[in-house]
Amino acid sequence: MIEVMNLVKGFPKKDGSTYYAVNDVSFEARDGEIVCLLGVNGAGKTTTMRILSTVFKPISGTARIQGWDIVKDPQKVRENLGFLSGDTGLYNRLRPREFITYFGRLYGLEQRQINQRIDEMADLLDMKDFMDKKIDLLSSGMKQKVSIVRSIIHDPPVMIFDEPTSGLDILTARNIVSFIRSCKERGKCVLFSTHIMREAERLADRIVMIHKGQLLANGTLDDLRAESGASDLDDVFVFYVNRQNQDMELKHNEF
Amino acid sequence: MSFRNIITVYRKELLEMLRDKRTLFTTILLPIILYPLIFVGFSSLMSRQSVKLEEKGATIAIADSVNNDTSRELIKGLEGIEFFKYLPYNAASEQLFAEKEIQAIVSITDSLGEDQLRSYKIGVRFDKSDEQGQMLIGKINRSINDSEKKVVEQELRRSGLNPNLLNMVRIAEFDVSTAQKKLGTILGMILPYLLIILLLSGASVVAADLVAGEKERRTLETLLVSSAQRTEIVVGKYLTIITIAMVNVLVNLVSLFFSAKYMASQSGLETAGVSLPLNSFLILFLALIPLATLFAAILLSISTFSRNMKEARSYEQPLLTVSMLLAMISFFPAFEFNNLMALIPIINISLLFKAVMIGDFQISHLLITIGSTLVLDVLAIWATIKLFNSEGVLFRTEDDSSIKSIRSNKRSFFNPYNGLVFFVIALVLLFYLGGSMQKQDLAKGLVQTQILLIALPVLLTLRLLKQNSKEVLRLKAPRLKEIILVPFMAIPAAILVSLLSQLIDHFFPFPSEYLEQLGRLFQMKMPLWQQFLVIAVAPGICEELMFRGFFPRFFEGKSKSTTVWITALLFAAFHLDPFRFVPVFFLGLLLGYLTIRSGSIYNSMLSHTINNGLALVLVSFADKPWMKYLSSGGDALRIWLAIPALIIFSGALYLFHRVSKTEENS
Repeated sequence: MIEVMNLVKGFPKKDGSTYYAVNDVSFEARDGEIVCLLGVNGAGKTTTMRILSTVFKPISGTARIQGWDIVKDPQKVRENLGFLSGDTGLYNRLRPREFITYFGRLYGLEQRQINQRIDEMADLLDMKDFMDKKIDLLSSGMKQKVSIVRSIIHDPPVMIFDEPTSGLDILTARNIVSFIRSCKERGKCVLFSTHIMREAERLADRIVMIHKGQLLANGTLDDLRAESGASDLDDVFVFYVNRQNQDMELKHNEF
Repeated sequence: MSFRNIITVYRKELLEMLRDKRTLFTTILLPIILYPLIFVGFSSLMSRQSVKLEEKGATIAIADSVNNDTSRELIKGLEGIEFFKYLPYNAASEQLFAEKEIQAIVSITDSLGEDQLRSYKIGVRFDKSDEQGQMLIGKINRSINDSEKKVVEQELRRSGLNPNLLNMVRIAEFDVSTAQKKLGTILGMILPYLLIILLLSGASVVAADLVAGEKERRTLETLLVSSAQRTEIVVGKYLTIITIAMVNVLVNLVSLFFSAKYMASQSGLETAGVSLPLNSFLILFLALIPLATLFAAILLSISTFSRNMKEARSYEQPLLTVSMLLAMISFFPAFEFNNLMALIPIINISLLFKAVMIGDFQISHLLITIGSTLVLDVLAIWATIKLFNSEGVLFRTEDDSSIKSIRSNKRSFFNPYNGLVFFVIALVLLFYLGGSMQKQDLAKGLVQTQILLIALPVLLTLRLLKQNSKEVLRLKAPRLKEIILVPFMAIPAAILVSLLSQLIDHFFPFPSEYLEQLGRLFQMKMPLWQQFLVIAVAPGICEELMFRGFFPRFFEGKSKSTTVWITALLFAAFHLDPFRFVPVFFLGLLLGYLTIRSGSIYNSMLSHTINNGLALVLVSFADKPWMKYLSSGGDALRIWLAIPALIIFSGALYLFHRVSKTEENS
């Protein structure tokens, strides 16, 4: 379960003012549910996810992962969280087994548990052939599988995927998509971000749209279609962006 | 903090390093093959080279303008030198000498002294920068000395004197140093330098990879979202650097030890039967551990701060250069290892090594060295952990530093980094150009320095950036109440600062050359009002423009007091004078306060001018009778002056603080 409450995050700009990458964003994702964080590049998706994964600290507002507060209990949050992004690198000089073991140990697992899980996942993802080759020599699809296993080695109840398919070829991307689905089947709470409308359409139970750091809309695909009166997700998205722009102009004119 | 996680990080990093061929090569393989190659190869090459040089001999032109028995005897001696060829001096000789076809021209002339004694002069023209030249002058010297002895002997015999008179006084050397100690002296010079550089270079290869490398390969975020704590990650990586650095040093020492041993056994002679001091090597190795931890911590913080490995390597460079310079201290015989030296990092280890190799070192020095290194060490680790917890550092992005973006944005130029860069440039200009300007004509040079090197760069920079100079430099008229109070602060402050200098002089006496240098300032031959312009007014305007107008703008981030402190430090450093550092710093604090508090630079300009002018007055009127109430000779003020000075200063400061109150700074 992820609960995001009035999250605000800003970065200092050169001229001394603050740039708000995330501005008062709230939403939640329940167990067994796939929630998609949808927005164009620079909308604040990655910043939101980095706050949830405790790498960034919010200026105000907070979030809870499995009931643990990201500001007060970052350690507990990380223990309950699996994190995967499309552009994560791997330690090329290690072998997949060593790589996964490393993170398994950092999550506090025993060697026996780690081995068991590696065998399980290697079976599932068809990785047996390259478990003991150097990561340097693997194809990008193989590497992505290694990353998947790494992210789930500690069997976390909450999974966060930051643009998980960006830069991947179709076949590799399919791996990820089916992995996300399998997470849901196992009752995990899944949050993933994308700027690709089709992906959101195919996977998400619920869509959270953000734009320029602000929440645009939050609802099931059907809800959003009904409210906007458009059927294509692209059009739905544009509808909400326009509405935000009008709101801002209105606000602006009041002064 | 979990020990298990630290070990996990540590083991993984070591495994990765072992799989990295580059690291393996530089830390282990290279030293193993390098020393045997250097030692064995070099020594055989050297001996071969000198044999070759001998056999090459030399061709020499001889001009004998005496041509008697003695000169012929001398030439005979020269002709006995193996591999040397001789030509009579003729018209072509000069040309041949210029073309290096002949390597020397020997001319023999004679003269009669007052006592009717004939003396001979043997002129040798040769090129000493040339190896062949060095070789031939040695041989010619020896030959002439031998011949001289023979000739003088003959002469003595002819006069009926005992030729043994020549050997009346002789030196007999008794060297009590053991071969062991000699070896220690040589190793004590080279080893510290070598080891410190090795340690640092070994560690830096690894350190850049550990955090900056992870940033570059986009693995850092994954590591940060794992449940390992930041401190655990830092400590694990830190231990990795120490380990690799120490392994590197160990391999180097072992390889060096055996190569040197082989050399010693080959050369025989003096070092025969001398065992290399194995236990000294052991102490060296142990003493390196604190230094390794310090380097590891500093390098790790550099690596954490850097965006990528390339950046990390370039930030490491200054550390490497400074360490090399400090480590070189072992080459100089004059430095005594004392408790003060034991406090300075790198220098202390370098001197400690030297002491260990020679065989006399004190435990107290060892303890102070280790203690002070460890204190710095803890500071550096603390800084690294701080950096590791700072998201701004971990996810730093490229800065836009083009001149266009600077122009459009005032804040982006006036940041602390640019401030330091500007300061360093100004310092370098002052050091190189200012010195030569003042060499010829001191007064002219001083004014030139102030205007061309201090004021002009500031004004040009502001013009280039299209800034409003008036606003940036706080060129705003002061209030009457303020400017009236300034002398009441400036004069007592000058007295207090002068007394402070006397106090410093008492504990760390100024060298006499230094006082002489300073005295030149007040001995310029010109009317007093001109001296006043050069010494007081010019710095009062120009230095204020730079240090109270320009520099504060770079450091305005935190608070006004920080700005004042930093610019005062820069002001003190700018004078390039360790003896006046503290007094100038206090002066800088007052001047900075005056400008920033009141918003008008004219206040500090006046204060600065009064301060410098007062020094001029003291020196110029030193011989007036009324001065003896104020001064006890020279520019040494009487100590009782401190009390009224302090009272007047505090009162004026209090009033100034009140009248300069504005809406902005209340």
